Amino acid sequence: MGNKLGRKRQVVDEKYTRPQGLYNHKDVDQKKLRKLILESKLAPCYPGDEETAYDREECPICFLYYPSLNRSRCCTKSICTECFLQMKVPNSTRPTQCPFCKTANYAVEYRGVKSKEEKGLEQIEEQRVIEAKIRMRKQELQDEEERMHKRLEISSANVNVAVADVEYSSNAVAESSMSVIEPDEIVSSQDSCATPMVRPPPSTRANRDDEFDVDLEDIMVMEAIWLSIQENGRQRNASFTDVTSDATSGHYVAEDRYVSSPMGPQTGSSSSPSGGLACAIAALAERQQMAGESSVSSNNENSSSFNMLPGSRRFYNRLGRDMVSYSSAENLNEGAPDDDVAMTQSHGEWSIDHGPHVTETATSYATSVEVEDRGELSSVSQSNDLDGNLQSATDPIIPESYEEQMMLAMAVSLAEARAMPSGQSASWQ
Amino acid sequence: MTSSSAASRKNLSKIACNRLQKELVEWQVNPPAGFKHKVTDNLQRWVIEVAGAPGTLYSNETYQLQVDFPENYPMEAPQVIFLHPAPLHPHIYSNGHICLDILYDSWSPAMTVSSICISILSMLSSSTVKQRPEDNDRYVKNCRNGRSPRRQGGGSMMTKYDN
Repeated sequence: MGNKLGRKRQVVDEKYTRPQGLYNHKDVDQKKLRKLILESKLAPCYPGDEETAYDREECPICFLYYPSLNRSRCCTKSICTECFLQMKVPNSTRPTQCPFCKTANYAVEYRGVKSKEEKGLEQIEEQRVIEAKIRMRKQELQDEEERMHKRLEISSANVNVAVADVEYSSNAVAESSMSVIEPDEIVSSQDSCATPMVRPPPSTRANRDDEFDVDLEDIMVMEAIWLSIQENGRQRNASFTDVTSDATSGHYVAEDRYVSSPMGPQTGSSSSPSGGLACAIAALAERQQMAGESSVSSNNENSSSFNMLPGSRRFYNRLGRDMVSYSSAENLNEGAPDDDVAMTQSHGEWSIDHGPHVTETATSYATSVEVEDRGELSSVSQSNDLDGNLQSATDPIIPESYEEQMMLAMAVSLAEARAMPSGQSASWQ
Repeated sequence: MTSSSAASRKNLSKIACNRLQKELVEWQVNPPAGFKHKVTDNLQRWVIEVAGAPGTLYSNETYQLQVDFPENYPMEAPQVIFLHPAPLHPHIYSNGHICLDILYDSWSPAMTVSSICISILSMLSSSTVKQRPEDNDRYVKNCRNGRSPRRQGGGSMMTKYDN
């Protein structure tokens, strides 16, 4: 009621009862328009401003700013009078649809300047839209991760089939298929003594910052990565026939290598040109790696049963994901010195990342992009959601030298970070 | 407007120009996910890169959309086609024309380039099979003037060329 009184008091300047020339209006009944505006049934034809100002509303059709706008009856969306005239085609037999919600028989009303309540409601709605967008984004990330998860699961389940295919393709692909197998075994041997593995992977990124709360589970994963990387690097030195025969004869052969093969040429390469701390850490890490080898080979009995352990497969998947998030998180800031250690590491990582995809889809080039994307996504979601309850995850295994494990973790991530760019080119030679 | 825009097209109206400038600014601030506007000095023709959504048939594929704005944009829909090569899709002809109602009958001036892009990506993403429309060859042969197929008299795009 008060609103109505207010409307009647409003006196519209005569010049705003005509279109301001926003459009070339045809068939506009000027008299009727003037009447409707003077009766406050339509918003006055104020000239629209290009820039926003306090208390101005934007017409969502012409994107100009007005002191007040009409509202559609169906969905209360705003529209300026001149745009509204464009919507109403006088000669059309079809009823005009609301341009916003497509309701038939589009009609507007004019309520004057927006009240505070209306503005408040709009703000609430905007807030809801933003929240919904955030939820959508989160959901997308989650779906992405699940898809990735499934892919890895499928490919690890089909490892034997995949390897058979790979025999006929290039050496590089054969290697990568090997690295699909190995982390599985390594991890499964550790997994056999570890308790529930259903928890989501902890955030590697958040973890690295606090030195005193390093998660053991994380370390295990990183060690597994390191070992497989080393192994993979060693394989590169083997001849083509060696690799393929390994691939066909399965994981026992691959494990033998842990025991029998001496440290490959890459052991000496820790004398990285970038030097300094990274070198020292890398050297430490290598020392650790040698220790790791023996521990793995002593666990061989367990790994033979890895196919029957559902947990092992799950763990492997998590391993894969962790690595993906690693690379994307770490390669952003660092350059690419040609460090041999780094090269082998990245090569190994690359192969592990891609093994499943290459064997599964056989479109190897395209998958590289995809995996990077996924990496980004999963790293984001992990760091967002999952840095809680890290400590509860730490019971299963207590490593013998805690400090070295930490150093190893740092070394792996450092080297990976530096190696990413060169690693990519290397693997597609 | 630049003289390079097609001679047959009329220059943008003032309102179209203003709106497109604002749409472009908004796009730069908040581009729709998966799309990249290729920078040119031509406001009347946008070329937009589309990346297939992950997990769909078109993931890891990129295509280019060409959006031409009519003089009376946004009262008239822009003409949107895929540049060669067009994605294999039951509603996309090999000449890049797109069978999507919002580009023709269902266009509303409340839509924006951004919302068109999202609709097109959604159309791509929901595809379950990579194939051309059934009447592709006939359509492409009969479609000489290079315009997008506008539905006329409410008939479907495919039947228009059946006669």
